[in-house]
Amino acid sequence: NNKVFWLRDHDHSELRSIPDLLNTEIEDFVSFISPTKEEIKLRNNCFETLSSIITNFWPDTKVHVFGSYATDLYLPGSDIDMVVVSKFGNKENRSKLYALSSALRKTGLFSNLEVIAKAKVPIIKLIHIHSKIHIDISFERTNGIEAAKLIRSWLVETDGLRELVLIIKVFLASRRLNNVHLGGLGGFSIICLVYNFLNLHPKLSSSTILAKENLGILLIEFFELYGRNFNYENIAICVSNKRGCCYLPKQNYSELKTRTTFGLSIQDPLDPKNNISRGTFNIIDIKKAFSGAFQLLTTKCYELSPTTYKERFGKTLLGDVIKYKGENR
Amino acid sequence: NKCTKQQRRIYCNKCDSRHHNSDRCPLIWRSYIVTNKHNEKVLPMVLNIYCYNCAKKGHYGDDCDLKRNSKVPNTDGSAFSGDNLPGVLR
Ligand SMILES: [Zn+2]
Ligand SMILES: [Zn+2]
Repeated sequence: NNKVFWLRDHDHSELRSIPDLLNTEIEDFVSFISPTKEEIKLRNNCFETLSSIITNFWPDTKVHVFGSYATDLYLPGSDIDMVVVSKFGNKENRSKLYALSSALRKTGLFSNLEVIAKAKVPIIKLIHIHSKIHIDISFERTNGIEAAKLIRSWLVETDGLRELVLIIKVFLASRRLNNVHLGGLGGFSIICLVYNFLNLHPKLSSSTILAKENLGILLIEFFELYGRNFNYENIAICVSNKRGCCYLPKQNYSELKTRTTFGLSIQDPLDPKNNISRGTFNIIDIKKAFSGAFQLLTTKCYELSPTTYKERFGKTLLGDVIKYKGENR
Repeated sequence: NKCTKQQRRIYCNKCDSRHHNSDRCPLIWRSYIVTNKHNEKVLPMVLNIYCYNCAKKGHYGDDCDLKRNSKVPNTDGSAFSGDNLPGVLR
């Protein structure tokens, strides 16, 4: 049984059209899933505590955030991604990682401390006991900070991006298709897919409609494009600042080719030679999930369309698609 | 014969299509709230039109001449069709 907490305060049954109904439900869901003032405070305190411990321990460093915390696209319970950058660029050294980790342990503020030194990107993992927030600390890598900056500029200029990204994140998370280590779709890839979709959409690029008034249709059409129509075999997605959003034929860009013929390629806007979704080897299941979401949503629309307003009371359009598994908020 | 009979029965009077009945018409959900108050002449001249099927610029995937790559049929049409542009730009 799905929990449809977000419908609680609204009765949408009097809205005339199906798109209106879906739109309002999306707005409700987004405000439901968005962090409360207390959660934001808790997160900021957690970051500031850890950041000041690190800069006291290593006065030559600066601590930055990247990932979903830095772009305000995080869901309840998401990790905080931090990166320590120093003047001499020497903090990724194994002995330095262990030195910092034992200094952090001594404060007694953190649990589950773990140094992962052998990984391609060495990190320290830990949990802030007070806020229960999980934190990953990486070292000397600035590409995440750059990416966060770029995404923030996209969010400012692109109406609807935040709402659609949050919904698709929840959608993929509930199906365990959001973990890059398991072949899922990562946060940056999701953002690029939505950003590209919004920029190429005929009605939006011709400024015929506003995204925020048509979120429901756009959500269905996102699932329609990437679940039913997009040519994953031959086309790469490009979100470059110079070129604007476009598609690229994979055959002309050998660096964007995927291991299997059916694979997702998204050109890294900060490094054109890099495919940011190369770890997403489970694109077949992701495509199936998108196409299933299209079916579920449109079927629900067809079912609700002939009903009376009274019959629509308490009915959800998004519920089957989102499958929100968290707690009531 | 059975086939043609069934085909004749499928008809949508909302959009004049023979691919679906009117209770499954995409217009039920694909009806945008249009807020284009400004003069159509002000519309941007350079549009981001790219094909989801062949990646070329200048047409949308629904209108592509090449063989469709996706195995999922697109009988009802999608958002990425020239028909979805404002009249003056089609
Ligand atoms: Zn129809
Ligand atoms: Zn084409």
